[in-house]
Amino acid sequence: MNAYESKGNDPDLRLPESLNEFQEAIIELMGDSSDIVYREVQFAGIGGLVVYVEGLADPSGILDSLMEAKNEDRTREGENGVSPGQALRELKINTLSEGRIMEIDSLGAASVCLLAGGTVVYLDGLAKALAAGTQNLKQRAVQEATSQSVVRGPREGFTESISDNTALIRRRIQNPSLRMRYFRMGEETRTSVVVMYMNGKADPNILRELYDKLEKADLPSILESNYIEEMIQDQRYSPFPTVYNSERPDVISSALLEGRIAILVDGSPFVLVVPALFMHYFQSSEDYYQRGDFASLVRLLRYFCFAIALLTPSFYIAITTYHQEMIPPNLLLSLIGQREGIPFPAFIEALIMEITFEILREAGIRLPKSIGQSVSIVGTLVIGQAAVEAGLISAAMVIVVSITAISNFALPAFNVGISARLLRFPFMVLSALFGLYGIIVLLIMLGLHLCKLESMGVPYMTSFAPFRLSDQKDALVRLMRPFARKYFGSLKKQPDPARPSEGSS
Amino acid sequence: MKERLRGLMLAGLLLHASLLTGCWNRRELNDLAVVVALGVDLEETGYLVTAQVVNPNEVRSQRSSSGSASVVTYTEKGVSIPDALQRMLGKVPRQLYLSHLRVMVFGESLARKGLIDVLDYAAREHDLRNDFYMLVAKGSKARDVLSVVTPFEKIPAESLFSSIMVSNKKWAATGRIKLQHFITVLDRGGSNPVLSGVRVEGDKKKGRNNDFLREIRPETMLKHEGLAVFRKDKLVGWLGEDDSKTVNYMINNVSGTTGFVPCPGRGKGSIGVSIMQSKTSIKAVKGEDGKPAFKVRHVLEANVDDVQCELDLSDPGSITLIEKELEDLARGNTASNIREVQRKFASDIYGFGEALHRQMPKEWAKYKSEWDSYFKTAKIEVNVEVALRKVGSILQPLKKDMEGQ
Repeated sequence: MNAYESKGNDPDLRLPESLNEFQEAIIELMGDSSDIVYREVQFAGIGGLVVYVEGLADPSGILDSLMEAKNEDRTREGENGVSPGQALRELKINTLSEGRIMEIDSLGAASVCLLAGGTVVYLDGLAKALAAGTQNLKQRAVQEATSQSVVRGPREGFTESISDNTALIRRRIQNPSLRMRYFRMGEETRTSVVVMYMNGKADPNILRELYDKLEKADLPSILESNYIEEMIQDQRYSPFPTVYNSERPDVISSALLEGRIAILVDGSPFVLVVPALFMHYFQSSEDYYQRGDFASLVRLLRYFCFAIALLTPSFYIAITTYHQEMIPPNLLLSLIGQREGIPFPAFIEALIMEITFEILREAGIRLPKSIGQSVSIVGTLVIGQAAVEAGLISAAMVIVVSITAISNFALPAFNVGISARLLRFPFMVLSALFGLYGIIVLLIMLGLHLCKLESMGVPYMTSFAPFRLSDQKDALVRLMRPFARKYFGSLKKQPDPARPSEGSS
Repeated sequence: MKERLRGLMLAGLLLHASLLTGCWNRRELNDLAVVVALGVDLEETGYLVTAQVVNPNEVRSQRSSSGSASVVTYTEKGVSIPDALQRMLGKVPRQLYLSHLRVMVFGESLARKGLIDVLDYAAREHDLRNDFYMLVAKGSKARDVLSVVTPFEKIPAESLFSSIMVSNKKWAATGRIKLQHFITVLDRGGSNPVLSGVRVEGDKKKGRNNDFLREIRPETMLKHEGLAVFRKDKLVGWLGEDDSKTVNYMINNVSGTTGFVPCPGRGKGSIGVSIMQSKTSIKAVKGEDGKPAFKVRHVLEANVDDVQCELDLSDPGSITLIEKELEDLARGNTASNIREVQRKFASDIYGFGEALHRQMPKEWAKYKSEWDSYFKTAKIEVNVEVALRKVGSILQPLKKDMEGQ
């Protein structure tokens, strides 16, 4: 990782040779920002300037070393006449104790170094300067992952600092084939992005495609990993996510070990993984920390939950407005009894309830925790009781909407839950128009779409369609470890029939 | 660009397809009047149709009832059943919904005149779900049967439906006959259908009011009674309890019932048995005179459930004795019942003709045209095999123990 490689299109001006000019050049480039500190020093009798950004860098090590060297100079007085070049060399090799030090000779490199939290040491009379890595960002400590918590399993979650995050993964995979490649992306924010993969496991074709996409992604700014997710996904108009994300180092590590590729973005605790398959969204890291048989049942339950979250309201609408003959007589009578006096058609009723629920959910997320609870209480009372008692909404519909919502929350990945939430409404409309027929047609279309979808050239439904028997150890169910030492087959980019193969391998 | 345009056009067309059709046959639950029972009676100019419609407010479990009846019975005349049902809409505030019909009741006079036109409607109407039971109102109009409130079940049709199920399973003297079965038996030639009968016991008028259910022993009740024998689609007579059982045995429609045999040897009292399994097979053979004759083999499995005699049940001999008694009794009953049906109704409700058709198709061809009249004189031999399986929780009869002391 080379933090001082300039990628921006800064003026590739060489550094001036005098101290004052240097300071002026920096001021000209970065403005007279109040957080940039210019500290004058002296080394081996030559005047120098230490420049850093307050709060980003911790230059105390450098300053200490310089002070110490100055004291030594005094004792060794008389050894005058050292040329600036020699002094810089001396400074770099013997005096400064920082691990990462390199010589720079352009203004652009100097500004990059400063903004990344480095410290620039300039000696008068040289068109060169030293850049030292002195990053000292105030950042969150490693805390429990809140978005994907588990009962059993590691508690650590990623933080906003990319170097912490890479370290969290390195610690789990102590293997020399774990490789990282650094990118600096975003003209304005110049955010660090790291692509991580297991050499030999990750498909080079996928890797190449990812690099391509990252290089082509013309983003002015990156504040969160979703900025990148949206640029690299294969299909823009799909309700299904094709880039996986996780806040948990163990999840990312296991994805890397499966030969998938992780993308870390500085400033975001959410790490992206490609390729992402449909089934990945139904796997929770806890599946691997609990007994295999239990985990299998729970995983099957999740697929079931997805179906419930997607279809229950529309199924209810279809059955009660078109196919009453399919309801057992006693249930039908009970449903009719409940619907007596309800002023809305079933579809409108369902729509009102679903939208109310979405509003409540949105309100609950944004509000501070203490108020959030009272909102949910009001919500339950309003929907659950008052509406039913006032005879506006039937009790059965409340049950339907509740089970839908709860099933939605049972999905381990938030983004596939969003897919279900989105698709629920077209299903409801079609069921109100055509009954079960409409639901089936949309399901078929959805099936086709899923089979056509790809993530980094890998079919989205891999291991179901195309069916891979060996993957079934860890697809719908998870076999116990003795039966499945290696869980998952490698993911290879699907050869494009329209394009001739690109030579290599 | 072109592709996008095409996609947009396709989406537009799809949208039209969905919006222009309207909502086709959408109906909200609270627009439905669920018909649970349909009664058909004969009128001079057509039919008198009675529909029992559920009042959903009253069957709701939670809300306390307002005291009105849980079903409403509408009656209307019409040239045909659909005609009558259409006219009925002048009285019913909602769309009549026939899919959840539980029972269809025919008045006896209609049944005697022939059901075929009604059956045509019932088989043709796609709303009817074909899982309802058919009944004949014995000695009354179907309207009267459908105007009686029942205890336990709030919906009288539901009460009829479930009592047919239960009694057929445990008692075997009623028939659970659905439309499809009736038509099959009617159409195949070598057999005639039966239908279960239902009768209003007590005062018909009193039965209409919910109030009489407050009594611990309601005076008016609906009772399943015997089987109606049909020749083709016309009712020709009624069978009593024993004869009805025989019919059910013969058409393998018995899953369990009870019976009793007198104590073997001396003494009075009887031994009660419950039939656990029953399987009857009919074999067509060539008789001595060259005409077809039939052998009935009836295999029964039974348990002893009541012993009133001093019999040593630990002795396998006495078990054999009971089996023997039971065999003789069942054979006698079956044979005499069949003979009576032959003589009185000349209607092959047992399916002998069907057996002949299957086993000796060439013979069948000769008798096909006048099967019912041949059936009247056909020779039928009955064989019964009984196996007693269990004697219950105690071995020896208490009477024997008591007198042994």
